[in-house]
Amino acid sequence: MTVRANAPTGQPVPPDVMAAVFHTAILSDRMALLVVEVVGRRRTVVWTNDKAVELLGYAPEDLSALPLEQLLPSLGGGELRLLLRRERAVQMTLPVRSASGAPLECIVRANPDQTGRLWTLRVFTVDAGDQRVSRATADAHERRFATLTERSPIPTLLSEQGMRLAHVNDAFCALVGQQAEHLLGTGWLTSMHPDDLDAVLEQAATVLDGGEGEVQARLVRADGTVRTTVIRFAHLFTPGVGAGFVGTIEDITERLAFETRLAHQAHHDPLTGLPNRTLLAEHVTERFDPAGSGLACIFLDLDNFKVVNDSLGHAAGDDLLVEVATRLRSTVRPHDLVARFGGDEFVVVCEDVDEADVVALAERIGEALRRPLRIRGVDHRPQASIGVTVQTGEHVSAEELIRDCDIAMYQAKAGGRGRITVLDHLARAQARDKLRLVADLRAAIEARDITLLYQPIFSTQDGTPVAVESLARWEHPERGAISPSTFVPLAEENGLVSALGLLVLDETCRQLVEWDRVLGEDAPARANVNVSALQLDGNLCGHVESALQRHGLAPRRLSVEITESALVKDPASARAVLLQLRDLGVELAIDDFGTGYSSLAYLRHLPVTSLKVDRSFVAELADGHPEITTAVIALARSLNLHTVAEGVETAEQAAELTRLGATYLQGFSLAEPMGGDVLAAWFAGRRSALR
Amino acid sequence: MTALPQFNLPQFDLPLLDQPHTARRADMPTTLAAAPVFDIEAVLASIDSMAAQKPVAAQIVSVANADGASAKELSAVLASDVTLAGRVLKLSNSAYFGMRGRVTSLQFAVTVVGFTTVRTMATVALTDLDDESQLPEDFWDVSTHLALAAAALAPRFGERPQDALCIGLLAQLGVALLHHNDPEGYAELSAAQPGAAGRRAAEVQRYGIHALRLTSVALEQWGFPHTMVLPLREVDDLGSPGGGLLRTAFELAGRLCLDGHEKVPVPVLSGGRLAERDVTTVLESVRAQADELRRALLG
Repeated sequence: MTVRANAPTGQPVPPDVMAAVFHTAILSDRMALLVVEVVGRRRTVVWTNDKAVELLGYAPEDLSALPLEQLLPSLGGGELRLLLRRERAVQMTLPVRSASGAPLECIVRANPDQTGRLWTLRVFTVDAGDQRVSRATADAHERRFATLTERSPIPTLLSEQGMRLAHVNDAFCALVGQQAEHLLGTGWLTSMHPDDLDAVLEQAATVLDGGEGEVQARLVRADGTVRTTVIRFAHLFTPGVGAGFVGTIEDITERLAFETRLAHQAHHDPLTGLPNRTLLAEHVTERFDPAGSGLACIFLDLDNFKVVNDSLGHAAGDDLLVEVATRLRSTVRPHDLVARFGGDEFVVVCEDVDEADVVALAERIGEALRRPLRIRGVDHRPQASIGVTVQTGEHVSAEELIRDCDIAMYQAKAGGRGRITVLDHLARAQARDKLRLVADLRAAIEARDITLLYQPIFSTQDGTPVAVESLARWEHPERGAISPSTFVPLAEENGLVSALGLLVLDETCRQLVEWDRVLGEDAPARANVNVSALQLDGNLCGHVESALQRHGLAPRRLSVEITESALVKDPASARAVLLQLRDLGVELAIDDFGTGYSSLAYLRHLPVTSLKVDRSFVAELADGHPEITTAVIALARSLNLHTVAEGVETAEQAAELTRLGATYLQGFSLAEPMGGDVLAAWFAGRRSALR
Repeated sequence: MTALPQFNLPQFDLPLLDQPHTARRADMPTTLAAAPVFDIEAVLASIDSMAAQKPVAAQIVSVANADGASAKELSAVLASDVTLAGRVLKLSNSAYFGMRGRVTSLQFAVTVVGFTTVRTMATVALTDLDDESQLPEDFWDVSTHLALAAAALAPRFGERPQDALCIGLLAQLGVALLHHNDPEGYAELSAAQPGAAGRRAAEVQRYGIHALRLTSVALEQWGFPHTMVLPLREVDDLGSPGGGLLRTAFELAGRLCLDGHEKVPVPVLSGGRLAERDVTTVLESVRAQADELRRALLG
């Protein structure tokens, strides 16, 4: 064979180089080579290497005799010319018939030589790296995935490309009530609720672009029923193919219904079905725009509801509340909110109204409520005090609007039941001022800015000071001195009285210890501490004991003063608390005695040691009316109790009270309240003067 | 738009091809016009020259076939051909892919429609199949219906719908080539042989190769996956699922597009994979999508 070839440089390749290459080709164990010659219409194999013989199983001489059409049976009908092209190399994947007759799937690459007569065929069997195998592997993966998900109880989608589905499992078919063939491709999108379709597409598009995502969407079943689901998408990318996704669907219809029920329960009053206070707050907050207007609230409080409850029973009271709720709902406009604020209080919230509109609505409500109804056999005409507030520029929050409405209702109630009141500026200002004062009081208690003054109490026997009464004082940094008659009720109304009481108790004990240190035996023997009715509970004794222990004081150094009115509220429990205190060893006094209408029989069983004669009775002495003071002192004496006369303003009063038999005296004429240090000096001076 | 390369070879080279099977010859009409100057070598050579004339499309065809090809890489090449890029975007937003206008970037469009589809569209541009004036009258009507029918039926044959869609879109590439080189003769041949099998036989007799085989050669030459070439090559192989899919899809396309189409029972064509009772659903689905697919591809 004559061999001529050119190197890439164009220079002829030396024969020894050609021989070396040819030798390599002969011995190659990876590449099957055949040389085909075309003579006329006949194409025959004129040379093969060992690998070709090994691959195809023919003896070399058989191969030489074999027409190429038989070796490549799929290229019949003249199609060999498609492979054996004179102008270019051609590669085809096709079956090559082996000596056994079995076709081998091969890649055949035909390279023409320069003469146009010979072609070199390189033959590779299709191996694991071939795309067919890759495709088969991918298909197998897909089939495994399909098999895996087929019986899974979790509805699953597998897209092939974009939104087009290649697989849906039985669970998804069952969920939407359709056969798979209707869901494949883009058919599944018709199962999406039209209002949710955009969100589903949006999320799926995001996932197709990479990443993961989920969306809540309703599916419309073939029977028209709707299921609410969460669809979770995961990105799938097949190299060389494109992007798809796997979607798993969770049917949350039941869970959602349950949660909705829970949410409804959390936001609605179970008795009337009306929105509760929480929902009311959310509703108003959502609609409140500080720069806006037109939002209004109507606050209703049923008049005499307690009478219905007490006289006809709670079930009748509930019937009334349900009927009121029904009337309210049927009276307001469709978009107004009716909420049960609590107890017998209701709130209506209106939007886009002015004061005239909302007052007109309040009047309609009042009329509707007044219609008679029969509860448990009794005719009743419900009536409510109604407060109205329309949002103004002064309202900075939704809470303020509701609070103002509440204030307006109280104004209405104070003005006489069954009224409608629109909150005026003055009332709003007063209410807000009170709120600010409460905040300041809370801060003052926390900072111990509440100071104590001590007023001496004198024995009528020898005129010596034997005790003091602790009196709380509040010096407001801006408003100056605030009277206890103002801030003590404020503390009681706003849950601050316990903290205030503890402060007074602790500071009194500390001061007693300080006086002991400074005055020794001349220190006041006892300090009287006032206790509010609200403090009269199971904790009081513990607090007193704790304060005494903290400061190392004997219980007899304290006298606890409780107003008669506090004892009257719940006599049984008050007595129990007093017994605990007596057992502890502290003294007990009834303050303002004679003003609280207490039962004298009951008084006999209280473990008190003294009665304080109210200053109003002492004042009557000057007017020639000593009757009550005389009676109280006589009563105390007969019960073996001490008496302390308060508010002694003159020497004459002191003399008279001493004559009547009072044990102790207390008043401005005798000694004014003083600070701890001043009182120490006063006591020291007084004692030394006596000596 | 660039026309297909003109072949101007002086001699009739058909005798170099083997004679068609005699049985098929018997099916041929005797009135067929004389075969033109037709050189299959030149037709095949023209496949190479097309690539030279449409370098961007050719590059896309090449890049899309690379194992490591990424959507980013492919979209970067695609961006050089504004018309083609627009078609890919349009197709990605078509009802077929269900994206409803959510595809706004070319890269995302490539991932949505898939690399094979991008490659198919590039091939359409490469071979001037988007110039309908050069094509048989019903070319795209048949091609879009064929593609959608193939995609719809693919799962029954174990094929991927997306690959089947692309095979369907390109299957008639050989028809375009034959028509271009022998417009009158091919028109006459088509008219005389409206049936798919008869037409293939007539094509072999007249040109030495049938149109689908010619398509397969072109696609193989451009490096399309063997799995896409095989159904074209095996269209007459009753044992081949891919061949069966293509035969059945052609039958459904014929029923939808061709007047006077003589029905061939689909259970026979499909090897029992499709029953006549299931045909209506597929036909409705194909009919509903065909117009939009055509607009996306050619618009």
